[in-house]
This record gives sequence, C-alpha cells and structure tokens, in this order.
Amino acid sequence: MPSYELSLMLRVLSKPELVSSLKRSAETIVQQGGVLRQFISIGTKPLPFKIRAHTQWHREGTYFLMKFDAPSSAVEHLNDEFKRDIDLIRTHVVKCEEPVKQECTLEEELKSPAYRKDVQQLVEESRKTVRKQFKQNSPGFDYYPFQK
Amino acid sequence: MTYDTVADEYAREIQPENKIINKMALMQKILPCFHISSLYRTSMFPLLTVRHFTNFNASLQQEDDQPAQNLSNPYQKEKRCCILCKYDVNVDYKNARLLSQFLSPFTGKVYERNITGLCKSKQKIVESEIIKAQNAGYLAIMLKKVEYFKDPKLCDPDRPVRPHRY
Repeated sequence: MPSYELSLMLRVLSKPELVSSLKRSAETIVQQGGVLRQFISIGTKPLPFKIRAHTQWHREGTYFLMKFDAPSSAVEHLNDEFKRDIDLIRTHVVKCEEPVKQECTLEEELKSPAYRKDVQQLVEESRKTVRKQFKQNSPGFDYYPFQK
Repeated sequence: MTYDTVADEYAREIQPENKIINKMALMQKILPCFHISSLYRTSMFPLLTVRHFTNFNASLQQEDDQPAQNLSNPYQKEKRCCILCKYDVNVDYKNARLLSQFLSPFTGKVYERNITGLCKSKQKIVESEIIKAQNAGYLAIMLKKVEYFKDPKLCDPDRPVRPHRY
C-alpha cells in the first residue's frame, strides 16, 4: 500500500467539535482500508486568502497533517467524502515519495548553446534526412465510387 | 660467439688426446648451460625491470625525463551548483516561507530559472510545490506575504544568472 499525506484545513471550531471532526475524517480513512501512521497539528493560522466552503467565507483555519497508508483506489473515495464534510475547508492528498537523488546539472546548463548536450542533440536530429514515405492515394475520392 | 667455436675450444682444452671430437655430444653438454635465454632472464637482475638489454643506464635517464601523466588540470574551474542542491534542501509544499523566497515581492509571480539560478530539475520541483501549496491553502496566490520580505535573498532579480530581455 503506498503512503499518502493528507493536509487538512478545518474551520475554527471549539475543541470538542474539532476532535469529533478529526475523528470523523480519520474514520473515513480507516473505512477505505487505510492505516493511520502520524497525526500532526500545524495550528490555527490566518489563511493566505479568503476561502469559501459550504456557503461560508473563511479567513482563519486549523491546519492538520495526517500520514497514512491506503490502497490507491481509496484516494478517490476519500476526496469524495471530504468534499461533503462541512467542517473541512480544503483537503489535499499527496503521495509520499522519496526524492530522486540527482547531481546538479547547473554547470551543463550554463554553457553556451554550442557546447550544451541537448542543443547538440537537436542539431543532430535536424541533420537526419527523413526518407519520404510513399503515400498511397487510396481512396482517391471522399465518396464511395460504386453504386449500390 | 657461436656454438661451433665454443665446442671447438672445449674440445681442445678438455680432450686434447682424442682428436676425434664428438661435437654433438659436447653440444648436448654445453647447451643447457649456455642457452641464449639465460641472457634474458630477469632473475639475474631482480631490482631492474628494463626492456632494453643493450644500454641500461641510458634507458633509466629517459624515464626520469618523461613528463608525469595523469595530472589534474590546476586551472579547472570549480563546478557550479545550484543553492538547493548544494545544501541538499528538501523542498516541501508545506514550507511556504521557503517557496516564497522564489516569488517576486512586487508581482507575487514565480521567478524564472535564469533569475533563481536553480538547475532544471530543482526549478521544476519548486514550481510544482508552489502550485501544491497554493491549492492546499499554505501559500498566497498573487502576492508575497509582507512578513517574508526581509527573508534572505536566494536570487537577485537585477543580476540574473543568464542575461534576459526583461
């Protein structure tokens, strides 16, 4: 099962209400066959821009982060469930992937075009002559020639 | 020194009475000792590994004078590395402050690669993470937060890495 990260944005609620809404979202994950791994609170912060959710405009929100493992087919159902929850302003499910370690190619990119590998490849491709393929003129007309 | 002369000398010295010399018999005795391979055996000269056996001293001097190979270029410039690769920074969509360092404080737009000075892959990652952050509600869309204005500048828009028209 791949690991996912859910960043929840809940509207400003009293503590017991907040707890119940979080429990609800956690239960939906478990219902879909997921396993909760981590539960992190980022805190109550003013939102970067006013967001409208379920006929209400929000300027403040409580951020939470849930890390879980779930089958890939469950993500669609989760998003569907979260859309219907009134307490949730925004949800974002991201797949947790380890970043691929690559060497910095800055030196290669800063070279002048004549020395860059990708430019040289383009030049080579342009030099290749494309053999003209014979186009058969069949059918020669856009109507069916034989009378029924 | 040919084998014939050696055999003759040997015959004369050792067997002066028997004037009928069995050369073949002598050769069979002499050959094992005086085989030409003995001249090329390196065990006789264990310290020197010399290819030419005629002038030993001259060949040694030639090797000393040869220029040393496999030397690195002392004038080679250091390989430039983008700031995120250099410090191995993990760019995350939740880290709005880090992402804001690549936004313009005037327009709120993402700086292009020639201004940020990042390599292709890192620039792509930063751009995708900015979009993620904006969608998830961590980063403002058309502006840069006033609190982030005093952050250290990772890129100078007035002095881009590569010249640009704008």
